[in-house]
Amino acid sequence: MSQIEIRDVAIEYKKPKSDETFAAIQGITLSIEKSSFVTIVGSSGCGKSTLLLALAGLIPRARGSIRVDGREVIGPGPDRAMVFQDASLLPWRSVQGNVCFGLELQRWTRDDIRERAARFVRMVGLEGFSDYHPHQLSGGMRQRVNIARALAVDPDVLLMDEPFGALDAQTREVMGNELLRIWERDKKTAIFVTHAIDEAIFLGDRVVVMGRNPGHIRDVVEIDLPRPRTAAMLDSVRFVEYRRKLRDYIAADMQSLQMIKDVV
Amino acid sequence: MAISAGIERRRGIAIRPILDRYYGLAVSTMSVLAFILLWEVAAGRGWINIRFTSQPSQVFWAAVAIFRSDNFLHHASVSLTEFGLGMALALLTAIPLGLVLGTSRRLRLFIEPPLMALYTAPRLVLLPILIVWLGIGMASKVAVVFLGAVFPIIINTIAGIRDADQRLIQAARAFGASQLDICVKVLVPGSLPAILLGIRLGIGRGLLSVIVGEMFVSEAGIGYQLMSYGQGMQIDKMLVYAFVVSIFGYALTVSVQLIESHVRSWRPNR
Repeated sequence: MSQIEIRDVAIEYKKPKSDETFAAIQGITLSIEKSSFVTIVGSSGCGKSTLLLALAGLIPRARGSIRVDGREVIGPGPDRAMVFQDASLLPWRSVQGNVCFGLELQRWTRDDIRERAARFVRMVGLEGFSDYHPHQLSGGMRQRVNIARALAVDPDVLLMDEPFGALDAQTREVMGNELLRIWERDKKTAIFVTHAIDEAIFLGDRVVVMGRNPGHIRDVVEIDLPRPRTAAMLDSVRFVEYRRKLRDYIAADMQSLQMIKDVV
Repeated sequence: MAISAGIERRRGIAIRPILDRYYGLAVSTMSVLAFILLWEVAAGRGWINIRFTSQPSQVFWAAVAIFRSDNFLHHASVSLTEFGLGMALALLTAIPLGLVLGTSRRLRLFIEPPLMALYTAPRLVLLPILIVWLGIGMASKVAVVFLGAVFPIIINTIAGIRDADQRLIQAARAFGASQLDICVKVLVPGSLPAILLGIRLGIGRGLLSVIVGEMFVSEAGIGYQLMSYGQGMQIDKMLVYAFVVSIFGYALTVSVQLIESHVRSWRPNR
């Protein structure tokens, strides 16, 4: 059995100012192997972040089951850690303090907290900045802290919700490489949500393509590129093919939305 | 010609920052000095009636006399004790209450209307009844300081908690934070600037309350002295006490402001 088993999951949100609900995602079934890097792409509103929040145990399901290592997900747990988008760091804590945050919440001992925080600050290349506060850092550095905070609690699964979404294209590429370098060390199972197609292909072993109305899985594309991934691969024939395929999926999804708009 | 201009400019650059830094202070000091000088001259020349306005030099000698005897320390310690106890009680009640009300919507709906009514009502109207209940000693003044300071602290604490960044709370929950964890590690540090603002407003109101309370009915204290010298037309001594109150209030407010700006340093654009 795979490490993560998602079976027929649906999540409903309440419509504003009424008792009606609508399905954000429906009929999601997906298995994720241990130590694999899975990326989820889709246009905005396809429910990819919703699926990730459900995996984190932060929102309830209307139907279906999510199991991690055979245990049903009923809330947040130390087996999963989340890297959020920008601005989820505590602004009043230093880099070191922010990396300590998750460790404190999971009741690590004081010595472990100090030792691990320092180690993971170093791992993401911020050793000279441990006393800096988030507003003194660039967007890329802040996301390094975010990644360090998640990895420091030693999770089995790393969940990432568009962690590089707020970064410029160049920084994004650097961070992608950096993330892979860190991931290759102990190969924690990684689930990475993004709307950038190239990023999804470059990082993932598999790319899950989601469509909307309601959010569902359109296809799962195996990415057959060797690791470690290099910048040169971005121009390889295979990469270009994957890119075209994924772009077609998402374009079709956008078009269906356009049609709905035209009818309405 | 060109060389000397260069030297001039260099010297200009060196002096500029110092001038800029102390410019505001220098101008303010000069305005105060000018005012004191004008007052002194006007009173000395008989342009204004010295009986009603006194004179800076008289006030100075009155201050020397008061600080030497006049039981100054006794009166100051009475006022300070009333103020300190009232503020301490206000802090101990307001911050926990603000935390609870900030997190619980139901409780807030229940308690907020009377709270807002008390906040906006002038508390000093309660002074006569407080004196009936608590007597003319220190207790009634402690109570009026408490009432003056407690509401701005509660209301600003609630505002700070409700302003809390939902993304930070979600991040904390993702790491398995309990309600208590969220309160201690996210809500309280995040609303510290708002709480301090409430404390600063509370200090101003508490100080006003203690002085007015003592002026109204009391046996001792700065306000008591203010009132008795005022009634005895001893303007110079009265002004000494007025200055003591102003300086105390100003110093306290500035110190809280300093803490505030230190705490806010992690939010440079606020």
